[in-house]
Amino acid sequence: MPRLASRPADVGQRFEVAALVAVAALLVLVPILRLVETAVDEGASQYGAVLTAPGLGEAVRTSLLLGVVVTAVAVPLGMVTALALRQPQLPGRGFWRVAVLLPVLVPEFVLGYSWQQAYGRAGFTDTLLGVPFPGVVGPVGVVVVLVVNAVPIAYLLTAVGLAARAEPDLERAARASGAGSLAVLRTVILPLLRPSLAAASVLVFVVTLASFAVPQVLGAPAGVDTVTTRIYADLSLGAHPNSFVEAVTLALLLVLLAVVVVAPADAVLGPRLRSVRVADSGGSPVAVGRRSGGGWVALGLGSYLLVAVGVPLLALAGASVTRAVGLPPAPDNWTGDHFSQLLDQRTFEAIGRSVGLAVVAASLLTVLGAAVAVLERRRAGRSLATLVTLTLVLPGSTLAVALLIAYGRWLSGLWLILLAYLAKLWAFAHRPISGALDRLPPGELHAARASGATAVTAARTVALRPLAPALVAAWLVCFVTALHEVTMSALLYGPGSETLAVVVLNSQELGRIGPTAALSVLLTGLMAAAAAPLWLAFRRLGAASSSDRELAGVR
Amino acid sequence: MRTQRIAPGAAVLGLLLLPVACGDDGGSSGGETITLYTCVSDTTVEPVIDAFEVSTGTQVDLFRAPTGELNARIAGDVRSGGLRADVVWGCDPLTLQGYVDQGLVGGWAPANAADVPERFRTDDYVGVAVLYLLAVHGDDVQPPQEWSDLTGPEYADGVALPDPAFAASALGAVGYFEGQSGYGLDFFADLEGNGAVQVASPDEVATGVAQGAYKAGITIANSAYALQGDGSPIGIVWPRPGAVAIYGPVALATDSEGSAPAEEFITYLVSEKGQRLIGEVGSYPTLPGVPGPTRPEDAPVVYPDWPAITAGQEDLLADYQQIFGG
Amino acid sequence: MSGDLLELRHLRVAYGSVVALGPVDLTVAPGEVLALLGPSGSGKSTLLHAVAGFQPPAEGEVWLHGHRVAAPDRAEPPERRDVAVVFQSYALWPHLSALDTVAYPARRRGFDRASARRQALGILERLHIDHLARRRPAELSGGEQQRVGLARALAREASLFLFDEPTAHLDTHVRSVFLAELDARRRASGAAAIYATHDAEEALGLADRVALLDAGRVVQVGTPAEVYDQPVDRWAARLTGIASVLSQDGRRLLVRPGWARLGGDRDGTVRAAWFRGPHSDYTVETTHGEVLIRASGRPRHGIGDRVGWSLDHSWDLAGDDALDQPSTSAGPD
Repeated sequence: MPRLASRPADVGQRFEVAALVAVAALLVLVPILRLVETAVDEGASQYGAVLTAPGLGEAVRTSLLLGVVVTAVAVPLGMVTALALRQPQLPGRGFWRVAVLLPVLVPEFVLGYSWQQAYGRAGFTDTLLGVPFPGVVGPVGVVVVLVVNAVPIAYLLTAVGLAARAEPDLERAARASGAGSLAVLRTVILPLLRPSLAAASVLVFVVTLASFAVPQVLGAPAGVDTVTTRIYADLSLGAHPNSFVEAVTLALLLVLLAVVVVAPADAVLGPRLRSVRVADSGGSPVAVGRRSGGGWVALGLGSYLLVAVGVPLLALAGASVTRAVGLPPAPDNWTGDHFSQLLDQRTFEAIGRSVGLAVVAASLLTVLGAAVAVLERRRAGRSLATLVTLTLVLPGSTLAVALLIAYGRWLSGLWLILLAYLAKLWAFAHRPISGALDRLPPGELHAARASGATAVTAARTVALRPLAPALVAAWLVCFVTALHEVTMSALLYGPGSETLAVVVLNSQELGRIGPTAALSVLLTGLMAAAAAPLWLAFRRLGAASSSDRELAGVR
Repeated sequence: MRTQRIAPGAAVLGLLLLPVACGDDGGSSGGETITLYTCVSDTTVEPVIDAFEVSTGTQVDLFRAPTGELNARIAGDVRSGGLRADVVWGCDPLTLQGYVDQGLVGGWAPANAADVPERFRTDDYVGVAVLYLLAVHGDDVQPPQEWSDLTGPEYADGVALPDPAFAASALGAVGYFEGQSGYGLDFFADLEGNGAVQVASPDEVATGVAQGAYKAGITIANSAYALQGDGSPIGIVWPRPGAVAIYGPVALATDSEGSAPAEEFITYLVSEKGQRLIGEVGSYPTLPGVPGPTRPEDAPVVYPDWPAITAGQEDLLADYQQIFGG
Repeated sequence: MSGDLLELRHLRVAYGSVVALGPVDLTVAPGEVLALLGPSGSGKSTLLHAVAGFQPPAEGEVWLHGHRVAAPDRAEPPERRDVAVVFQSYALWPHLSALDTVAYPARRRGFDRASARRQALGILERLHIDHLARRRPAELSGGEQQRVGLARALAREASLFLFDEPTAHLDTHVRSVFLAELDARRRASGAAAIYATHDAEEALGLADRVALLDAGRVVQVGTPAEVYDQPVDRWAARLTGIASVLSQDGRRLLVRPGWARLGGDRDGTVRAAWFRGPHSDYTVETTHGEVLIRASGRPRHGIGDRVGWSLDHSWDLAGDDALDQPSTSAGPD
């Protein structure tokens, strides 16, 4: 390779890494460091008291335990779902692949309530079937609801990993070498999925560590205390400066916990460019096996979705049209008031801003996530992945405050909120793309780089097509999460930049579930409207390329 | 690639929309602008601000969030250049006292402050609305006549309380009971022994009782009456010795001392006009003789000793959390 | 026929509503090499997939060793069929070294890791790639990967090999080395093979019999000599090599390179002259059409020269009235 051809790429590469590190510093490092500064300056005398406060040890244990348990349950469930949905003989496969993501539609701010309403005392199952699940309020309920919420993430990461890495020929080669379906799974598919599973585990663990609404609504009444609920309690009494510093210290503790778990995981299980992909051989996995198996899978999936999504959504819908809390959702108690109350100018503007913010944030995040996924393959960039995950674990309130402290002098309102979304959700965009990116053929990549392209450009031009599902998945996850995000935007908004969060928190504070539920229903409709065209495009992309490949690669 | 085309397109579109959205409140009507931070609910604050803006031409920029977020916002402000509010309207005296102790607000009282009963004000802040913590019960449950009834067998495993670590109003109530003979913290120990459950906020208590998840609970009058008005199957009691009054004070930011519009706003809140409006939109006014939301004749009310509670709040909370966990 | 190793009876394979293959009747005798020659999309891979068990038949049956292994309602899974597959995409597992990849079939048969690896090493040695044992696919060149793929197939110890265009991504030199080894190993093992390719030279060189495939139908089956010297129609002629077709007295005559020579009483004009190395090819325009004449040595005639030529041999092609213009084609790449 002539030296001249490589020099522009070199400079370009260094610029890229520098640019990304600068962004990471702005979004992640600076806020965290300002928090550390606050904790050190103001709280140095209190560390002893803060860290030995009664109940803190248990809260930390609970948080960690929750993280581990939810990860241990949700990731295998997500993987099993992704594998089950590969079978071409599954009836209505296209439908199930979307349906599996539905739990994501229930926003966190009503998640606890809708489960309680569905399964708790005096809830749906209690009044209709006489079967309450009082355990819904308590550690079991917290775990179950967090698992249900995490399975779509694990499923998504595994599915895009499968799509990118588990080529049908690899499975066929194993079958033709004497391996039955189970042996193929064990010896070929699972090893191929390792980066995706690792990415999913890290993401689910961190998200669980950071979860607040579910432990608070479903856990607190039963005495389940997590670090996040303690932080919120501290902030609630935060007029006392000690409480605020305690909140900051605890938040940094969470960051430390995340680092301790995530960094080694990333180092050991992290992605390595492993394979040389030659022909784009297509087609679906081996189409043998019992035809009737598909029916059972459909039944299993259907029941799971009914329990995990259907009933809570139904409870929510019921609440949105019921006149008052506590009245049975019978037709004579129905009212459109909650919805008509929403139809005022302020709410529309707020929703419009939130949707706009979510779209912009999701798009920027996809780019940022892809950039980290590409650049983390360098030795120097490996820690980027861990770094980017740190802001995910910070509870929304603390991250918002950190950004306020860091940039409040110069930025306000929507700009700060956008920064908050970018900082918090970066890992959400990064991990799905990272899990799928592993299959870049180095030969093609080198060729692109030798002609002067930088790493990002090479990745863009060479890898975009097979990556498209992962990119779309990342965008959708970020969009939905940003749209549902309540705490940070409620904290950072300014005059004229009211977002949905303000409206939501207002109606929640009044203790009237009807308007809050109506808002969730409205949001769900909005999300379907926004995500549907994207999903169609995604399916057409996937269908077109896979049917092309099927016909071309197989004849 | 479609994906690639959508992303930048949407980004550009979004970025174009942002200034439009941001610039919403750009032009004021020529008057001045003050910034109000509050945790009081929308339904109360918005009409009051509107009326004030109309009558004076002063623009009020509003930041409204629950107490936790409000505290965080103020803490963030302080560490990034100073409090950006001119007026802070809180939901309980403990929080405002905290701000006074930090030197953020206080040091000024409106001329008409003397009209408000002394138990609802200090030199640094004046209460303009009151919350009452009272008891709700399911329709089919016997109404508790006294607070101590809740420790009785009729309410075993069926009482819900708000968490004082989250809701300062609840902390005020704990402080009241702690200092009350015949109650003390034993009251809460008895409740716990009777199977009472602690939820995060007073609103959750009300909702839970309305749904039938709990038999009875301690919640805020506003939530209770709102639910009852909607048609929820609950009953409301102002139990003896009395519903606990938590007043919501308003204070001037120390950096805004001398700001005429800010002082005008606070004066307005305390004035009869302002108090009437507050009463009309669903909050209990502090000015005597002004009509407000439902309050039965001779409904008993008790008033916590705020200075004492403020002084000992850490110990109070710690002792309480021995009973009901952290 | 009872002696056949593989028999396809009226086999039809469809993907959804698209029929990719069939109906096809074919047999393969033990130890025989059958080449499947056809362009892209002609159904070669589909046929192999049906034999291997990756795709069930929509109609018809597959018989192996005198047992029915596939029918529309029941199909034996690939792991239970006595076949081994070599893939166009190499299909090497990224997480396994070459040694473990080749040891994989033995492991599935129940051998413990040590003995499976021993066996695998032996196979690698025979293919002269034992020095690559520890390497992963990412560290191997295309040719090396394909040899590992071949080794893996050998390790299966099957009676029937299925080669799905294995040299498609190999460059010429590597290809000839690979083919030589493939041939040697297969003969040594005594296994039969179906070799799918679009390269006529490969097919004619390797096979005992050649089947020509077009759009999922078998157009002709015969020995290499038969399909080369006596193709059933013009399309088959073009598929199997360079074909010139002359129209004479209403008959279409196939003229292969070497069947005509320079010098003689027929007339023609040189339209193109190509130096090929060992010989030169002339495209000569005659009254009956264009003909490719091969002569040894360097080109001695230029474009526009009038030459005399004579026809030593030709083959009468039937059918193909649809095409008006007789023309010379260089055959598929």
